[in-house]
Amino acid sequence: MSLEKLLENPRVWRGSSQVGARAGLASGYPKLDRCLPGGGWPFDALTEILIDQYGIGELRLLMPALAQLSREETQTHCSGSAEPGWIAWVAPPFQPYAPALQQCGIDLSRVLIVRPKDDSELLWSAEQALSSGTCAAVLLWPVTLDDQASRRLQLAAEKGHSWAIAFRPLSARQQPSAAALRLELQSTRQGTRVHILKSRGGRPAVLDSLL
Amino acid sequence: MARAWKSPVVARDNAPTPTAKQQSLPFAEPASLTGPLPPAKISLTPTAVTRLWFCIWLPNLPLEACRSSEAALAIVEEQHGIHRVLQADSVASAAGIMPGQSSNAALALLPTLTLEERSLVREQQVLERLATWLERFSSFVSIAGKDVLLLEIAGSLRLFGGLPHLRKTVSKGLRAQGFSAAMAIAPTPLAATWLARADRRVCIRAQENLGPVLRKLPLGCLDWPAGQRESLIAMGISSLGDCLRLPRDGFARRFGTERLLEIDRALGRLPDPRDSWRAPERFCADYEMTEEQSECALLLHICQELLLSHEQFLLARQLGTQRLYFSFFHLKSAATELQLGSAIADRSQKRWFDLLKIRFEALRLPEPVIAVRLRSGLSQPLQVDNAHLCFHAEGGKQQRRYSIAQLAERLAARIGEQSVSAISMVAEHRPEYAWKLQNPLSDWASNTLTTKSCVKRPLWMLPEPALLPADSGYPLYKGSRLTLLDGPERLETGWWDEQNISRDYYMAADGAGLRLWVFRNRQRTPNWYLHGIFG
Repeated sequence: MSLEKLLENPRVWRGSSQVGARAGLASGYPKLDRCLPGGGWPFDALTEILIDQYGIGELRLLMPALAQLSREETQTHCSGSAEPGWIAWVAPPFQPYAPALQQCGIDLSRVLIVRPKDDSELLWSAEQALSSGTCAAVLLWPVTLDDQASRRLQLAAEKGHSWAIAFRPLSARQQPSAAALRLELQSTRQGTRVHILKSRGGRPAVLDSLL
Repeated sequence: MARAWKSPVVARDNAPTPTAKQQSLPFAEPASLTGPLPPAKISLTPTAVTRLWFCIWLPNLPLEACRSSEAALAIVEEQHGIHRVLQADSVASAAGIMPGQSSNAALALLPTLTLEERSLVREQQVLERLATWLERFSSFVSIAGKDVLLLEIAGSLRLFGGLPHLRKTVSKGLRAQGFSAAMAIAPTPLAATWLARADRRVCIRAQENLGPVLRKLPLGCLDWPAGQRESLIAMGISSLGDCLRLPRDGFARRFGTERLLEIDRALGRLPDPRDSWRAPERFCADYEMTEEQSECALLLHICQELLLSHEQFLLARQLGTQRLYFSFFHLKSAATELQLGSAIADRSQKRWFDLLKIRFEALRLPEPVIAVRLRSGLSQPLQVDNAHLCFHAEGGKQQRRYSIAQLAERLAARIGEQSVSAISMVAEHRPEYAWKLQNPLSDWASNTLTTKSCVKRPLWMLPEPALLPADSGYPLYKGSRLTLLDGPERLETGWWDEQNISRDYYMAADGAGLRLWVFRNRQRTPNWYLHGIFG
């Protein structure tokens, strides 16, 4: 029995690269891709991004991947559907600015903005959007997100083959979460530092001045 | 609702329709004045197109129109100041209640009897509903009188698999809706009506076979005034054949030309144009309850029934609608309105019901409900999309459950239509007008506009420019002085609509590395403003 054959056995677990893990979505930042299992953003899962204030680069980090999602048909969707997925913005803190989104390469006709009144509506909307199978990515800015809610989002993302991205304050770092990937962003003079707090199938890492 | 007056007579060239003047002088020919009625005059009947009329007579309409679940029910009508039983259901009939009895006598026979006043309005509504339903079988449906429906079926026979099958389908459908009907088929509408009233379950297809059958009909099945009928019987005339043997002029003098014309129309000697029933373009239906209800499950069930009939209504027309309006009526306070919107024209009961359930959760009814009304918005042709051929049968790979339009309408139904939007670009230099929100339910306009701007724009836009404090000419953000990295980009435009701006835009960075989009106003006071964050 060759070594390769042995490694294909599903009972063999290897920490760094999960056997059978789907390839991730290229983030556009090779340094980050190398640290993520699957070589990119984990699809069908919840990603949490912890930030202390808005505008420190959290959107810039996502833009290349989102642009790719809005432009081309993703392989993860049903093979019959020739349409690219939608990107839903649930409760953004400011107005996502259309000319800038277009500059980043996002197809504006694939953007849906949802402004729920409170957190329960927010979670409901996000869950609907995720499980609908129409949205390739759902970005949400919840005021609070407990363990149970994050689990629900994670399940909805799996069900609809969608990518959920929740933006949360730094204080959420101590809270348990079902997210497959948790990043902490800190702006420094040299640029934005990305700290991978939790990565399913991967290892925590710190990336200085990524952006 | 406009009723198109449409004559079923097509072969006008061969057989000109007599005008009113001509009709009033049917005795111009001396031959017809004297002797018995001549045999059918072929010249006046359209020979090119044969017509076939399907008559449905609803003898028990007053009873069946009453939506009551009572076991013993009788319909009463006021005659000369006394309420008399008009019709009684099987339970009441078994107890000995007969039509014509006074309501007191009926109650004495059966104290548990429910008496219901006859409502002609309700009967008319039921007839219209049935006519709308019958439109699926024929393009020409006509309401003839209080309890008769006529269909022209010559053109429908092939589609519905022949006469026996069509007949069976109609009678089964009527039975399923709870109506007992007598049916007959004849080449003229009046003959079909009379045959149905006589409960002769016949089907006459050829004009020449009509005469012998009609001759045997008793006078009772004709809708003639009782006085005339009695005097005819007193003369020893009991059937239509006896009438036909009478001299035309004498018959016309005694009983009026109208009766004579009727016989001629029934035999096909004169054309008999009818009004065509046209169902209203928009659906509107009420559901009235016998008592007030506040239970959600029951109300939802009623709404579901209304939606089902709405679907059938649109199905017959191959239409869909984007808006539905529910009204919940209360006894004391004003009606509660509920509006549903859909991104694409739809008629499916299931989808509308799903939307309704979402909205119903949030609906606060001030009082119990006594009636529910459903109105549909403007109907439009259904957009039919091709379904994808998805050969992907892997378990985990699930098809997209619904389209973006459906998702948008679900979200809009729960959190409000203003809260769900799409964005698009506007050809405009002023940053705050260079984009707009769109209603995703009304238009998914494609964003074809692309601006090739080389100057970077921020991803986050503040709803309003925020005034920044300044320190010796430089802006301050959260207490720290901003470094201007890039700029200025001068925007000076908008003189045409009073919203003119004159600004110098800069990209600025604060001490922590945050990138901001700030501008200095060049008009009036030269203040610094924060307009966006590069994110």
